Amino acid sequence: MAGRAPLWRRAFDAVEKPLGDTLASGARSGAFADVLAVALRVNRRLQREVERRTRRALHLANLPAATDVRRLTQQVTELQRQVRALQRELERATDGKPRERPARR
Amino acid sequence: MAVSLAPDDLLRRVEGDVRRAIRRGRNGLRYAAGTDRPKVGLTPKDVVWKRDKAELWRYRSEAVQYAPPVVVVHSLVSRSYVLDLHPRNSAVRFWLEAGLDVMLLDWGVADAVEAENTLETYADHYLPEAVDAAREAAGTDDVTLLGYCFGGVLSVLSVARNPELPVRNLAVMATPVDYAGMRSLTGLIREGRLDPDELVDETGNVPPEAIANAFRLLRPTGDLASYATLWQHLWNDEYVEGYQAMAQWTRDHVPFPGATFRQTVGQLVRENALVEGTLRLGGTPVDLGAIKVPFLNVMAEHDHIVPIAAAQPLTGLVGSEDASELRLKAGHVGLVASRTAAKVTLPQIAEWIAGHSDRVGG
Repeated sequence: MAGRAPLWRRAFDAVEKPLGDTLASGARSGAFADVLAVALRVNRRLQREVERRTRRALHLANLPAATDVRRLTQQVTELQRQVRALQRELERATDGKPRERPARR
Repeated sequence: MAVSLAPDDLLRRVEGDVRRAIRRGRNGLRYAAGTDRPKVGLTPKDVVWKRDKAELWRYRSEAVQYAPPVVVVHSLVSRSYVLDLHPRNSAVRFWLEAGLDVMLLDWGVADAVEAENTLETYADHYLPEAVDAAREAAGTDDVTLLGYCFGGVLSVLSVARNPELPVRNLAVMATPVDYAGMRSLTGLIREGRLDPDELVDETGNVPPEAIANAFRLLRPTGDLASYATLWQHLWNDEYVEGYQAMAQWTRDHVPFPGATFRQTVGQLVRENALVEGTLRLGGTPVDLGAIKVPFLNVMAEHDHIVPIAAAQPLTGLVGSEDASELRLKAGHVGLVASRTAAKVTLPQIAEWIAGHSDRVGG
């Protein structure tokens, strides 16, 4: 037989459940979405500003900044995509036709 | 209930309390130090197919009793080890013991290279290739597809768009189709207050933290409640072990490919295109009525992520004559990883699959 929850747990549940429901319904509200959207935009703008300033300082010292690394990463990513596409074309050319599929039951 | 004050009973109770307190202290220290990390995904398996980051695993079994194999298609936002969490809590192990030949399609961890992957990439390229590899590995003509959560969406799209795909049966678990029915999760992006691009990071994907936070907003005090439950059961070694495995999984999201996310928001969420019948992929309309294979829609009654209202309409949208539903008293994760799963969910799914398969051994 499952024992009754201890007193502290019952007290916790009595507070947590209504509080959780209230917070969850607040998080679903339009106002919350608006605040979140503004916070994300401000955060992004701040990040860009910090990057701009640190980039200038790093470039003065002839050091690569995050944006330089990002550009290189994008180039590597593009190369990887091209390798994948080539690999597929090569498979199609050497392996021939797509595998035959039996008729469905 | 009357409490006995006899010296023997008192002594026994004190002894029990002291033993629990010692175990609680030991488990608490271990948990806080993080020295006892649970090992997950332990069921032995082989990789039978690999394309880019996607892999198809076949779990080893000496007792396969049914064909064709079951290809489980996992979601794009979480780790697939939730299906093989712990030897005592493993959907994969359960299905193996039920005589099924189990394979799992794992998408890996998306990075910038996958940022341009669309729904078509998964439904028209990876999935059909994995299905071919599965039947080749098992030596069968077709497979049973079993999609979980967003993996169910991908499976449904794949079968609908590729009628020649050798799929004998299609089953989905906790799969959202009516996004109007899951306002809790999609509310923030549904009405256009938040733009999908604002959630995408410099890799072009939605970062795992954003996904975790979105789930956290569904139950803002969920973490607190979960810690309270841990404290309550901290003396119980088995509970702590299971808790750690599950807690590790809930924190372990993977990036959601940006292009797929934009399509999901634009078409599935904002247009509710699967229910409205307006979904177009690769320039062609998607008709779920083209799905004619036996179909099972498994839904969880306490699912706060994909409520019944979001999952149920799928049964009526597919064109299968043999289309059935299972409504189970479980949550989104509890459907596959919980005591209820082992007792109720997994046996019923296994029974449906076995009933729609051929007996080959045992």
